[in-house]
Amino acid sequence: MEILDFLTKLLHGGLGNLAAYLAAHVLLCLAPAFYIAGAMTALIPKESVTRFLGRNTPKYVSYPAAALAGSVLAVCSCTIVPLFAGIYKKGAGLGPAITFLFFAPAANILALVYTGGVIGADLAFARLTLSLAFGIGIGLIMALIFSRADIAHDKATDAMFAAQSQKGMRRAALAFLLILVALLLAGTLKVGLLTDSYAQVTLPVAGANRFQEFLYQLVPYDAAKGEEGVTAQGAVLIVLLALIGIASWKGMENIHSGFNRWTWLAIGLVGLTLLTAALGVQPHANRLEVLFTGKFFGVLLALVALAWLLRRQLTEDEQRDFLWESWRFVKQIFPLLVAGVFAVGVIRVLIRPEWIQALAGGNTLAGNLAGVVFGVFMYFPTLVEVPIAKMFLSLGMHRGPLLAYLMADPELSLQSVLITATIIGRLKAWVYVFWVALFSTLAGLIYGAWIDGASLGLLALYLASAMAALAGLLWWMNRRNQAQVVAQSASSD
Amino acid sequence: MLTIKVLGTGCPNCKKVEAIARQAAELMGMQAEIIKVTDYSQIMEYAILSTPGLVINEKVVCSGRIPTPAEVTTWVANSLEE
Repeated sequence: MEILDFLTKLLHGGLGNLAAYLAAHVLLCLAPAFYIAGAMTALIPKESVTRFLGRNTPKYVSYPAAALAGSVLAVCSCTIVPLFAGIYKKGAGLGPAITFLFFAPAANILALVYTGGVIGADLAFARLTLSLAFGIGIGLIMALIFSRADIAHDKATDAMFAAQSQKGMRRAALAFLLILVALLLAGTLKVGLLTDSYAQVTLPVAGANRFQEFLYQLVPYDAAKGEEGVTAQGAVLIVLLALIGIASWKGMENIHSGFNRWTWLAIGLVGLTLLTAALGVQPHANRLEVLFTGKFFGVLLALVALAWLLRRQLTEDEQRDFLWESWRFVKQIFPLLVAGVFAVGVIRVLIRPEWIQALAGGNTLAGNLAGVVFGVFMYFPTLVEVPIAKMFLSLGMHRGPLLAYLMADPELSLQSVLITATIIGRLKAWVYVFWVALFSTLAGLIYGAWIDGASLGLLALYLASAMAALAGLLWWMNRRNQAQVVAQSASSD
Repeated sequence: MLTIKVLGTGCPNCKKVEAIARQAAELMGMQAEIIKVTDYSQIMEYAILSTPGLVINEKVVCSGRIPTPAEVTTWVANSLEE
């Protein structure tokens, strides 16, 4: 019986976690994020960014451009690896390629939005800024260390980058993308204007609260652990999600052979789901109070604008590419995310908070290193690192080591290191791993110190001394390199 | 003889392109050899920045997106004229 009890407990842990993640607020951030990612892939012409990644572009343009390419073009590995190899072999060289490789998994729209929605906007912001600074930093360092090898890298033309048309984005496509972002903000921002309720409808539904209690019995929850349980609204949303899944399967899967009724049904259902998620619902004994929040009106407004742009302003090719790419992201990432979240809930039951607190409860060097090491040796599918980080946080991990983990995990998995090694060589790949590990630890320490209330001046001092040590080391290496180059050319004369 | 290569490591889009290319060739009643190129070093020999890539008779016709069957038919017809 004990084993059975134990298994039930595990199952409840998994279900509870899953329910919390399918709840309204995650849905309102994740669903628009998938569509933004789809719109970025389908509607932004790649040339508008990649033309800055050619060989003859000055450094101060190519490094930021590489970071930009990482965040807007590369949501999936289909783009990351070929673009990385292209920049390295035929374009701007090792430095920008590394910047791109570092920035893409950490700061693409899905990762940032999801981190912000689940863990907190502060951590998402720290992830973005520190990734940007360190991505460019590591790129510059790698370019310097391997400066000789980089000059010698294959002399293929960079026609791929240079000779492309300079067409920008169409205005309608840009507006579409911006309104998608507005939809995301309307659904997730926690300001009074959006969270306040402006109208209220009472529906005479008997037994609404009994239904609610039944749901709580089905998926018991523990508010102390950050679990939320399934609300009646949540249950409706889960049903709607399943319907979207079915409609999308029929309507999106063969979208290249033309749109059908299922396609439009799926889009309509997505809108309906977002609207339902934006409502406030309070079950009572024999009535259901529905609150129309500012959020609801914001989402409604954005959806109407989007529907109009999609039907009237985008070309059929754009519509198709947008819908397909969004659906592909959902299909590729969502099932793994659901499975991952469930697994995290199960594991959550097994881990004792004391272990995490002993290891990374404070902002120590060892704690940050532990976060990084865990990130390197564990491989999780895209975005699953976020619920895992949430679990660690609720188990008592300090936010500093948490950021160190979040910086290291997507960049460094053994799998991605091996792919990178086949393109730039094993030595460069491992040097890259070393720098990422070092910088992630540093990022965790800095952010953790800031959380602990250290003054900005002290932090600047730390950062400056670390950077000075680094610069000294690089200067020394560069001088040694040059001395070797001089010696070689002297001996060949 | 028509040689169609699909460049890509097996992501969903690559499979889609392969299916569309096959469909287009069948529609035109062509004998086509469809080769899937999954090795990165081979893929990088072509001038593409993102997969999936479609190569007809060693010429890159499309990369980074999924073409419609109609587009593929046009490219195949063009490559036959050359």
